[in-house]
Formats: sequence, structure tokens, C-alpha cells
Amino acid sequence: MEILKNPNFNFLGTARYVVIVSVILVAGGIYAVASGKVRYGVEFSEGTQLVLQFQTTPAVDRIRDAVAAVSPGAEIQTFGNLADNKVRVRLGPQDREAGGGGTDPESDLEAAARAALAALANDYADNAVIESSAEIVGPTVGAELREKAILLVSLGLIAQLIYIGVRFKGGVWGAGAALAALHDVVVAIGVLTFFGYEITLNVIAALLTLVGYSVNDTIVIFDRARENLRQRRKVPMTELLNDSINQTLTRTVITSGTTFLALMGLYVFGGEVLRGFSFALVVGTIVGTYSTMFVAIPLVGLWYARRNKPAAPAAKAAL
Amino acid sequence: MSPDLQNPMVLWLILTAALAGLTYAFVRKELRVRVLAYGAFLIACGVAIWPPYEQDGRPGKIHLGLDLRGGIHLVLEVEVEDALNATVDDAVATTREQATRQGIEFGRVQRTDPTTFAVEGVEPARVKDMRDILRDQFGGTWQVQAAGEDGFKVQMTDIYQRQLRQQTVDEAMRTLQRRVNQLGVAEPVIARHGSTGDQILVQLPGVTDVEQAKRIIKTTAQLALRLVEDAAPSEETLLQSVGGKVPNDMEVLTGSGDSPGERTYYLVRREAMATGRDLKNARVGVDENNRPQINFTLNPTATDRFSRQTGRNIGRQLAIVLDGSVYSAPVIQSKLGADNRITGTFTTQEADELSKILKAGALPATLRYLQELTVGASLGRDSIRDGVRASVAAMAFIVIFMLVYYRLSGLNAVIALSANLLIVLAALAYSGATLTLPGIAGIILIVGVGVDTNVLVFERIREELRNGKTVRVAIQNGFDRVLTTIVDTHLTGLIAAAFLFQFGTGPIKGFAVTLVIGLVANVFASYFVSKLLFEWVLGKRHVEKLSI
Repeated sequence: MEILKNPNFNFLGTARYVVIVSVILVAGGIYAVASGKVRYGVEFSEGTQLVLQFQTTPAVDRIRDAVAAVSPGAEIQTFGNLADNKVRVRLGPQDREAGGGGTDPESDLEAAARAALAALANDYADNAVIESSAEIVGPTVGAELREKAILLVSLGLIAQLIYIGVRFKGGVWGAGAALAALHDVVVAIGVLTFFGYEITLNVIAALLTLVGYSVNDTIVIFDRARENLRQRRKVPMTELLNDSINQTLTRTVITSGTTFLALMGLYVFGGEVLRGFSFALVVGTIVGTYSTMFVAIPLVGLWYARRNKPAAPAAKAAL
Repeated sequence: MSPDLQNPMVLWLILTAALAGLTYAFVRKELRVRVLAYGAFLIACGVAIWPPYEQDGRPGKIHLGLDLRGGIHLVLEVEVEDALNATVDDAVATTREQATRQGIEFGRVQRTDPTTFAVEGVEPARVKDMRDILRDQFGGTWQVQAAGEDGFKVQMTDIYQRQLRQQTVDEAMRTLQRRVNQLGVAEPVIARHGSTGDQILVQLPGVTDVEQAKRIIKTTAQLALRLVEDAAPSEETLLQSVGGKVPNDMEVLTGSGDSPGERTYYLVRREAMATGRDLKNARVGVDENNRPQINFTLNPTATDRFSRQTGRNIGRQLAIVLDGSVYSAPVIQSKLGADNRITGTFTTQEADELSKILKAGALPATLRYLQELTVGASLGRDSIRDGVRASVAAMAFIVIFMLVYYRLSGLNAVIALSANLLIVLAALAYSGATLTLPGIAGIILIVGVGVDTNVLVFERIREELRNGKTVRVAIQNGFDRVLTTIVDTHLTGLIAAAFLFQFGTGPIKGFAVTLVIGLVANVFASYFVSKLLFEWVLGKRHVEKLSI
């Protein structure tokens, strides 16, 4: 059984049109970050998040009324399947001080959570909370973690850029792979924000994984190009790169396809805790595969085309 | 499974032997040697994870993380200043005691900041003696400077300060360890956290009574027996006697009054006659009205001092102060000895907890909560169920696809994937690392990488076959050509995982751990095991067609 027989698509030729999509998506991603539309998870932004399991189906409106009385601005959402009777309550940092009334906001982290639970026990007594999970983050930890996350993503990318640059004896290869990966992260953040997902610690892990995935995908095709370069020295670089994409296309389709479907399984069945994480990875598989063919490889092609005459033999590449 | 295999020593021997066999096989390269060594290694992995989860009361080998089995995750900051203050206060007390013993008259000795205290108004004739006392007592670790004609400024050296900070955090960790042990938590984690050096991470998996656990950890349990100067029902009346201002060596504390809801204000000496550090033992008892109380025993040195001081202050009130609030303030009837008690309005449970905490020792400083995560046990169970369901669905889909698309060679891929998973789980079980929800996700990702490796190899073999190569050559070329690609992709993957590992935070670290193990295991399983399977099945026969 074969999916594609001797594919021969002109990827590099169409890249200049397809790249418009990238420009729009990247612009959207940058806009989301710059305009502050990105929502950070509780671990990055200080505050309290409760997941409460109720005896019977919770009435979100009544919970909202009860909690809002003690901490205005609280966000209440059903969590997971309706049948699980779970609700997520998010309390901001200012609510905690109001609940605690203490002078030092960190002296009693739990005050807001306690106040909210007490309010529920009072005003929504007919449906008791049978189990609760809480995540409470003080201001110091939140800020520290956010800085660390940005730092680690940047350092991770730079390290991979250097590795690829060294392996392929040419900075443009490393830069192409790293730019494509960066493109993926920005697009993923934009898409996540557009669909209302928060950037949590788990999502950061997913973004880093997607960097690895994207780079992985790029390297497979780069490797093929390197092999072709050794054998077919007379062929122009652009044609050679395009052939490399086509030669590995079946593998790309199968790997991306199975990974995509496996991650879809995680997204659908993985439960609420993994929802944001798996969504980021699902988006990442699509964008990561796309960016290899339409961002990383065309960038390398463009570089050699600009440096030499358009039809210059690939033998002059720095390999 | 025989009980012997549960023994970590035996396990270690088995795994080491299996690894040695593997190394040998890599050197010898003979087919039969490789088959035996690979097989033995995988069987050893199987032994290492058995039983994977709790069965018949025997604990499972795979440790589940907090998010999967419920429990508490706390990040605490040690208020190191507290400990510095306490050390300076001790030094102040020693100075007073020594000076009095030698009959030196002085105006005041008091703490001026967390690392310094000042001696003022020493009688001119004995300034030199005072300096000698200070030099003797605090020579190496403090700096003694003259301040004016008749005073001194004594400050901790920087090295001593750093040492104290370090000691304080260490002591806090030891105290927490003792307290957590009394909670009976299996596999607690108490570790340094963060970059500043004064944060502690506490993880208590499987704890059901979250409230009790938090109380036991949170209570500083600084016990102090301090002399009461005055007591009054309100702060204003209390301060009238001292002219409206609290003297430097005293402070105002509150405690519950005689009738419920009423509070009493006490003006107490800052200096304590005895503290929690002087305790030898503490336990629950009952008072004459059959109400719970806490009996405690002082150690011999403290008893001496305490007896002397109480003997001098008969008829005055002694405040029993726990974490800044006065539990009771009995009048000293006679010279007191080693055995004393704390009365108050406790429930039996409160008294029991408190005595445990006192026995485990006070924290050297207050703890501040920076982060807290509690997961209810059944919420954790739901997460496992969802995670496992998703993994099974993903695996089933991949197995079916590989079998349909690559036929018999697909079976090869399925075996390689299973070997990969087995190694990852064995490494988790063996190293005692915990499996978290992101860890499960990491495993799914590893399956994806494993599929990629197999697909790369198989597609390459097909390509070689299309170019007219024989089966044997096609397989050899397929594996050879793909090796550089696999090395490149796995190394970049490891680079990413190394950065994730730096996070040092539970869930992401779990993800990074599984990723690292998985990537290494995948090279072995999807490349070496898979290649061996091809060679083994082909044998020395002549093969015309390959089922791929």
C-alpha cells in the first residue's frame, strides 16, 4: 500500500504565495502577545484557581453569584464533561487581599480560596462540594516562572540553531530551521489565544515540544538535501531542495498524519487537564509540518538563489 | 513473581547484567549474541516494572505523581530574618548574663537590626572588661566595634550571616521532615527550591486530610516562656503604666481572656526564660478538670536556668507564648522544674497535633507560602483514567495503521514501539521518578517519534527496493542511510528536553524526564531492535520479496 506514488509538487514555486498565510498568522500571533490578549495560566499570573466537584450538576450562575459576593471578578467555568459535576473557579490576586484583609498579601495565600468555599457552603448549600483541588500562586513565583519560561524557550532555540548550523556547515540552515520553529511558536500562541486557551506551564511544555517537533521535521528534509547534494552536484539548489521535499513526502504525510491523529485522541479523550496542552500540540503538528516545507526550505533556497545566479549549481553550497 | 525480584539489590544486579550483555552484543555484533542480549535486556526491564501498579497490597513500581493520585505541592519561603533576629536576641541575653555575673554595670543591651546589637552606657571604669567579654564570647563570628566612650556595636560577619541563612533553611527542612514523618506520608519530597536558596519544596502525595497536613506544616511552633510585666483588658490601659510607649526590651502580645470572646493584652519581656529549643519532650495530658493539656519536659541545662529565673520571680506571671500569642499566663507559685504544662482551650485533636509539632521541633523561622497546589484524590483518579484512555486510543490507532500499511514489517514496528515503552517504564520504575500527567503526554510523544523513526527506515527500504536493490541490500542501505537523520533529530530533541529539565518544576520536569529516556530508548528500540528483527527473520535464506 502506498499513499503517494512519485510525488512531484512544486513546493518552492508555490511558497511565495502560500507564505502570505504565514505572514497573516504571525502578525496575528504578534498582535495577540503585544496587545496583551494572551491569557496566562494561574501559575504565571498569581492568583488562585480552584477545581470543585459538586454532588450534583452545578448551577454555574448560582456559584458565580455566591463567589462574586466575596471576590468580585471571579471567573467561573464548567470543567470537563458536564457529567463530572466539576467547576473551575479562578480568583485574581486582588480578590485574595480582599478576602484576607491582611497587610502582607502573601501571608495568607489561602484566604481567598477559603472565603470562596465558605461563601459556597453558605449560599449554595443544597449542592455540596465533595472534592476540591486548589492551585495558589504568590506574586514572586508567578513572575519568576514567566521570565524563566521565556528565557528557556529562547535558549532552547538558540542551542538548536547552533547545533544545526554546525551539523550542516552553514548558518543559513540553522537559521532556516530556527526561524521556522519560531514562526510555529508565534502562530501557535496566536491560535491558542484565538480559541481562548490559557498559556499554562503545560502549554509551555507543549510549545517547547513543538519546537523540537518542527526542528525534527526540518532536519529530516535537510538531511535528504545534504545527501542529494553529494550525489547530484550539477542540479540547481532550488530544484534539489524541491526534490528533497518530494522524496520525503510520503514519510512526512505518514508521520505527521499519525502524530496528528494520536494527538487528536489526546485532545478528545485526554480530559480537561490536558486540553490546552494537547491543543497546542495538535496545532503544532500542522504548523510544524507546514513551516518546514514553506518557510525553512524556501528560506535556504532563497539564500542560495540570491548569493549565486538563480540557476547556479548546488555544488557551490557550503557543504 | 517471587519476592526476591522485589529486592532493589537483586533488581540492580539483573539490570546491570543485562546492560553489560548489551554492551557485549554491540561489540560482538554476532546475530545470536545480539538476539540473546536484547531479549535478556527487555526481560530485565519487564521484571523491573512488575507489578506496575498497586496489587494485593504490594505497592506498584511506577510511582504516580501528585496530579495523578492527589496530594499537596507547596513552595515555601523561609523568612531567614527571623532566625537572624533570634540569634542576635540570644547574643543579647548572653551579654547581659555575663556582664551581670562579673558585676559590670551597663545602661542597655539591645538589638538594633537583624544582624547587630548595641551595648550602651557601660560604667567607664569597666569598658575594657566589657570589651573582653564581648571579644571572648563573639570573637570569631562577630565584629566588635567601640561606639562612643561607653558603648559597643556588635555585628555578625558576612560569612557567619551566610552560614546562618544556610543553617536556617537546612534546619527548617529537617524539622519539616520530622513533622511529615509523623503524618505518615509515603514518599514525601522535601527539597531546596528556586535560585535564591531560601525556598523549600514540599510534596506530599496521597495525603487525604489536606487541612491537617497544612496545619502541621504551617505552624511555626515557636514556644517561649516569657515574664509578664503587666496585663490589662485593652492595649491603652496596658500602656498607661509605662507612659504610653512600649519599652525596647518588651512587647505587647494578646491571648484569650477569662471569658470567651474577651482578649487580654500582656506586656511581656522580649527575652525568653525558655524556648522550644530547650524542650526534651512533649505529650498530651489532661488537667484537673479533665481538659486536654500539653505536658512538656525541659532539658537539664534549660531546667537549671529556668529554675533559677522562676525562683527569682515568684508571684509574677509567666506567659506561655506560642507563635506570638499567649496561651496562658499562670502566676509563678514556686521555683519551677523540668516538667511543665500548657493549658488552654484545645480540643483533644488540637492538643495532639500541637504536642507532635512541639516534639518535632520548632521551625527556626516563619514559613511564607509562595505557591500551593492541592489535588483531590478522585480528581487525580479521573486524570489517570483520561490519560490512560487517550494513550490506549492513540496506541491502538497507530498499531492498526502500521499493520495495514506496512504489513509484516509493520509488526516489526509494533514490537519496536512496545520495547520502547517497556524501557521507558522500566527506567521510571528503576530510578524512582514519578509519572505525571505531562509524563503520560511525553510517552505519547515518544510513540510519535518512534513511529517517525520506523516510517523513515521503511520508506527508505521501499525506495531502495524500487530502485531494484535486493531485499538484503535494501534493508542494509535503508538503516544505514537513515542513521544520520535519526542522530540529528534525536540530538535536537535531547537539547530541547535538557532545557525543559531546567524548569525544575514538578510537571514539566516529569515531561522532560520521560522525553530524555524515551529518545534514548527509541534509538535502541526503533533502530537496533528493529534492524535485528529484520536480520533475524531473514536469516541466511535467500529472500525474493519483503512484506513491507
